[in-house]
Amino acid sequence: MMKDCIDKRYKCVLQWLKKLIDKQIDQREETKGAGIEAVEKTPKKPYRFTIKAHIYVGFVVTFILALGIGASMLLTMVKMEKGLQLSEFANNFYASVSQARSFEKDYFLYGSGIKESKQVIKKLEKQVITHYGELKKHIDYENSIGLLEKYVKLLENMEELDRVKNGFDQLDKAQRKERLQKELKQCGSMLINSAEKLLSKGSDATERLIIHFRTVHLYALVFLIFFMLFISHLLGKRVLRAINLFSKYSTLMANGQYTTIMSDHNYNDEFSDLSMAIDYLIKELDRQQQILAQSQKLRAVGTLTSGIAHELNNPINNITLTAHMLLEDYSDLSDEERIDMVRDLTDEAGRARNIVRNLLDFARESETIMEPICIGGVLRDTLKLTGNQIKLAGVNVDLKIAPNLPRIHGDRHQLEQVFLNLLLNALDVTRKGGHLKIHVGPSEEPNFVSVKVIDYGTGIPDHILHHIFDPFFTTKSKGKGTGLGLSVSQGIIAKHGGQITVDTKVNRGTTFTVKLPITTIPADLAKCSEGVNLSIAT
Amino acid sequence: MNLKILLLDDEPIVGKRLKPAIIKLGCDVEVFDNPAKALKRIDEEAFDIVVTDIRMDEIDGLEVLEHVMNKSVRTKVIMITGYAMMELARQAMEKGAFDFIAKPFKPDDLRNVIIKAAETLGVRLKEQG
Ligand SMILES: Nc1ncnc2c1ncn2[C@@H]1O[C@H](COP(=O)(O)OP(=O)(O)OP(=O)(O)O)[C@@H](O)[C@H]1O
Ligand SMILES: [Mg+2]
Repeated sequence: MMKDCIDKRYKCVLQWLKKLIDKQIDQREETKGAGIEAVEKTPKKPYRFTIKAHIYVGFVVTFILALGIGASMLLTMVKMEKGLQLSEFANNFYASVSQARSFEKDYFLYGSGIKESKQVIKKLEKQVITHYGELKKHIDYENSIGLLEKYVKLLENMEELDRVKNGFDQLDKAQRKERLQKELKQCGSMLINSAEKLLSKGSDATERLIIHFRTVHLYALVFLIFFMLFISHLLGKRVLRAINLFSKYSTLMANGQYTTIMSDHNYNDEFSDLSMAIDYLIKELDRQQQILAQSQKLRAVGTLTSGIAHELNNPINNITLTAHMLLEDYSDLSDEERIDMVRDLTDEAGRARNIVRNLLDFARESETIMEPICIGGVLRDTLKLTGNQIKLAGVNVDLKIAPNLPRIHGDRHQLEQVFLNLLLNALDVTRKGGHLKIHVGPSEEPNFVSVKVIDYGTGIPDHILHHIFDPFFTTKSKGKGTGLGLSVSQGIIAKHGGQITVDTKVNRGTTFTVKLPITTIPADLAKCSEGVNLSIAT
Repeated sequence: MNLKILLLDDEPIVGKRLKPAIIKLGCDVEVFDNPAKALKRIDEEAFDIVVTDIRMDEIDGLEVLEHVMNKSVRTKVIMITGYAMMELARQAMEKGAFDFIAKPFKPDDLRNVIIKAAETLGVRLKEQG
């Protein structure tokens, strides 16, 4: 029964709390809803349950429970006090009745004691009347008062009988006395009986109260402990989950994968605010990265331009010479000779156009277009782009592309930029007549392809190695290097889910390895068939 | 006795088009687009004027210049340079080149330089036609 009571109370409190929380949530959503929507463009608006509210609710509930337990303790204490009073009264009742009866016995044995007995009972009667309120619940009150009154009456009758010395004959007197004595005895034993009943009731009630007290508090305490554990467990789980989520995403971010944080619950809280702020940060970082990439690209274009300007000179020179000679000798030339010269003119113009187009293609600020591509093709395009630079530097380049490579999923132009950077870096440390190798093949890691750009140049000393991927770190003279090449390349490769690693030995050379994951889209699984073994010798 | 001129440029069109232009000056012209072959020919024959591109893939113009200077100092070497290659041109002049001419150029530009070179050799050339 007591458990039931606790159960009900607990249910009531919980229901009330739920209503309270709902109300609060409604209010908050009304006030904050507009602000949240402006920042967050999710179509369905999750309800807001903040950590603050969580702690607040937990605290209030615990507090209310503790208050309830305290109140119930007080209540039982008051009850117990009353129970003790009752049992004290029962003792008193019993003692009074016993005393009255012993006086009664005295009277029958020695002829005196009636007065005392009457006094005791009268006093008791007065007490019973004053305690009417409490006693009513425990004993048949009317009956007890009746008994007491009857007893007093009998005693008074006895006294009366004694007082009247003459009047009745002795026999009659003795007979009446005997009857009175009998009635008195009967009434007295009934009184004793009810006193005993009261006594046992009093001690029973006290015992029950003590047990009640103990049980209630044991249950309440256990419940409170479990409730607190439950609340803090929920809170802890929530916070831990959020922190885990954030650490997961920050690791991704450190690897350059800028994805928005996806919350795994359907309500929003302080962590949602934080994740929104971080999402903004990520977007901003991504934007900055793109700006950086573009400026680095333009820088690379600058490097390429000297080579390209030089290369453009040849077709322009050929056109100039041919055109002038055509003009000069026009009438002396045969038709075939004229046609040959005009063909030279168009060919050379086409050559010039191609050179310019290559550069413009590369320099163009293009959107990221992720598509299944053959990495070998990207490298061939990059080599085409750097062809003049390689010639200028007087370096031999070997390109080896393994046949039947799986495709990768990526942006052609961005990857071109990466390999261009690696190639230009390698060219910078290769002496005239030196060698460069580019190997494209499957990586040791399954489901990855790797591109190795190998040079036999200066190598990178340890104290510099830590910094080469930092933006603006360069060892090259001003105007020659911006120090953005590797940092931008790393950003691009990370975005593709890949990795750039360096292997270097001072004065021996350096190998930059780019690992890229192969595409998993079933429709794009067709392999890149052509293997290539190409040497550009200068 | 006609002046002997060797023209070397790794762009074949250059030789193809300039050959008739120089012949008009009344010179004997041999054209090459392969520096190694040109050097071999220089070893065999004494040329009065050598015209060479300064930047070629295998052997660059400066090497050709040195080679010619080692063989005969009186040979006039005219360098064909590219865009913004003043540094290289300066080096060539120090090494004894007669003059340089920057790409892109007109046939007349080269002919004028050749006429100047011929003058220093004591020959008056005149454009025929
Ligand atoms: N193959 C290499 N061999 C030796 N050192 C290298 C090599 N690649 C890069 N480095 C070192 O790493 C530094 C940073 O390279 P990064 O490509 O980021 O910038 P940069 O080449 O100096 O300038 P930018 O690429 O913007 O023109 C270089 O300055 C160089 O010291
Ligand atoms: Mg670089």
